[in-house]
Amino acid sequence: MEEQLKIDFEKKLKDFSYSDQEKKFKETNFKEFLKQGFPNRKLESWKFSDLNQIIKSNIGELTFYNDYKKENQIDKIQLISDLEHNKLIVIDGKIEKIDFKFEEKDKIEVLVEQGEETIKENINSLINLNNAFSNKFCKIIIKKNYSLKKPLVIYHSTNKNTQSKNTNSRIDFKLEENACLRLIDIFKDNTEKNFLNIYYNFELDKSSILKNYKIDKSINNNVKYSYNNVKQEANSISETFILSSGSKFFKNEINCNLQGQHSSAFVNGIFDLDDENHHEIKSNINHLVENTKSYQLVKSVLEKKSKAVYQGKIFVSSEAQKTDGYQLSNAILLSENSEFNAKPELEIYADDVKCSHGSSSGSLDENSIFYLMSRGLNYKEAKKLLINGFLLDVIEKITDEEIKNLIKNLLGVKE
Amino acid sequence: MLKINNLSAKIDNKSILQDFKLEINPGEVHAIMGPNGSGKSTLSNILSGKKGYDVTGEVLFENSDLFSLETEERAHKGIFLAFQYPLEIPGVNTNVFLKTSLNAIKKARGEKELDAIQFLKLVKEKAKELKFDEEKLGRQLNVGFSGGEKKKNEILQMSILNPKLSILDETDSGLDIDALKTVADGVNALRKKNNSFLIITHYQRLLEYIKPDFVHVLMNGKIIKSGGPDLALELEKKGYENIN
Ligand SMILES: Nc1ncnc2c1ncn2[C@@H]1O[C@H](COP(=O)(O)OP(=O)(O)OP(=O)(O)O)[C@@H](O)[C@H]1O
Ligand SMILES: [Mg+2]
Repeated sequence: MEEQLKIDFEKKLKDFSYSDQEKKFKETNFKEFLKQGFPNRKLESWKFSDLNQIIKSNIGELTFYNDYKKENQIDKIQLISDLEHNKLIVIDGKIEKIDFKFEEKDKIEVLVEQGEETIKENINSLINLNNAFSNKFCKIIIKKNYSLKKPLVIYHSTNKNTQSKNTNSRIDFKLEENACLRLIDIFKDNTEKNFLNIYYNFELDKSSILKNYKIDKSINNNVKYSYNNVKQEANSISETFILSSGSKFFKNEINCNLQGQHSSAFVNGIFDLDDENHHEIKSNINHLVENTKSYQLVKSVLEKKSKAVYQGKIFVSSEAQKTDGYQLSNAILLSENSEFNAKPELEIYADDVKCSHGSSSGSLDENSIFYLMSRGLNYKEAKKLLINGFLLDVIEKITDEEIKNLIKNLLGVKE
Repeated sequence: MLKINNLSAKIDNKSILQDFKLEINPGEVHAIMGPNGSGKSTLSNILSGKKGYDVTGEVLFENSDLFSLETEERAHKGIFLAFQYPLEIPGVNTNVFLKTSLNAIKKARGEKELDAIQFLKLVKEKAKELKFDEEKLGRQLNVGFSGGEKKKNEILQMSILNPKLSILDETDSGLDIDALKTVADGVNALRKKNNSFLIITHYQRLLEYIKPDFVHVLMNGKIIKSGGPDLALELEKKGYENIN
């Protein structure tokens, strides 16, 4: 792999005329990745999902260079039809289209070639990989007091011939004071053996609201990692909802720094897994000042040999009195071979806090099935009704009605 | 309508029913009384198709072999069990459940399914008859219902599904006096249409409102005595130990 990495990185550097600063940034990150490689189970936060192993067994050898001068076809992507939305289309890690057609033009600023990024980031080696290989740097700024009229949907896709490739994309967002953004990520890659590495940075200024819905529903044989890094000022709210289902492997990591008073973070998710799919949600909610709140609810429905992992961490610093942190996960195992791993973690240095966590897993209740069947439903219908009922409370956590309905439709939850 | 011949049932090699015999004709009401643990719920479960029992013997429902039918097929054919302990089903709206159930049965019978409006009309009418608080129909199935409300909900389901054979497993336990009367009214309304009932109870009182044709005493998995409504009165006086 090292050989390939070096060749591809050389190519990458020759593609554009990077400024010295940009070049240095990329090189530093590249070296760091070379040193560390893909995360493996020796790292505590990867102990349930050994990415190095997963890539080896599902992909084999990867290549890292993507020709970003080439135009990708975007008309092949199936867009959501029952929801008016702004679009951003990413193919093989390259942003092909940005369209804020429903919005006031002067309220949104999109910076594409900003190259002054110098911070050395040591989050994990995948962020280094991303910084080394991702295309131009894109930053979207939502101006003060502006609420987007329609959601922004980011379509993540791959070219149909793309295989055994690593693609990297990074987008930064800044929500100025009192701004509001509904952001939907839709994964529309039906290729196989690729590794998609996605990195978002969010700055939420005072009283701004971010709602990020990640929908991984279409079936594909790719491996994905997504990292959301969220910084929150006073009174800001972040709501993240993850529907984790269609990919071979998907790890969603959410890092939230609640650094302004009365800011709050909500992380909710559903694992709806089949076959041998293996998905993970890892959250780090850092309560850094007084009076902040976090709430997390994750529900899993696991078929066959699928595996779901939920690692939720609540960190409360010594200054963060009056923190309110809550975390719960429930799983239904539909087969003896499916697996649910929950690792809740509380690290609390303040004394006046309210934090709780819980986790449960079990099989479908046979008595409930019998009850429903005795009313004329067949086994399949009874099972579906019970599962939908089980998932309902986490779906109800979605505060946006339109998107809630979209997700209900995707899951076949009827009312 | 229902013919049970030499039914024996075991769980984990523990014998629960032995050579159980019973015949119910259309329009008849049979009551079964018996001490705790005598096998009453086991009988109801087996008739409705619950898995996990080792059974021998024969049960015919309208001349077809009941054991060859799945649980839902028995419901389609008109068997209904009002559970002794109705289950709570979180996240499933009561109305949605009732409609799904009714339409599943109608569909299996080749009848036209009800649309939302027709269904609501029917459910409103039945809820009113049974004095069932309509607001509860918008809630999750049996979640947060009181013991008595759960029982009434079973009877509401029964009157909506209009079954040929209804098995009421201690539906009267936990009902207040007024509720007992409305439940009895519900049963009597169905009875007029030549439907049959198997009523399991510990108390003679219910049988004052629903006059049974036969009363059976079940002990240790067997019917030890059968008779008319007077047998229930005798039982109440003497207790199970001194009957025979
Ligand atoms: N799943 C089971 N596993 C083991 N034993 C069981 C099971 N179900 C029932 N039994 C036993 O079978 C016997 C009959 O139980 P059943 O529930 O039919 O009694 P019942 O007559 O309905 O009693 P009650 O009046 O208390 O409702 C009891 O001894 C009970 O413990
Ligand atoms: Mg019983």
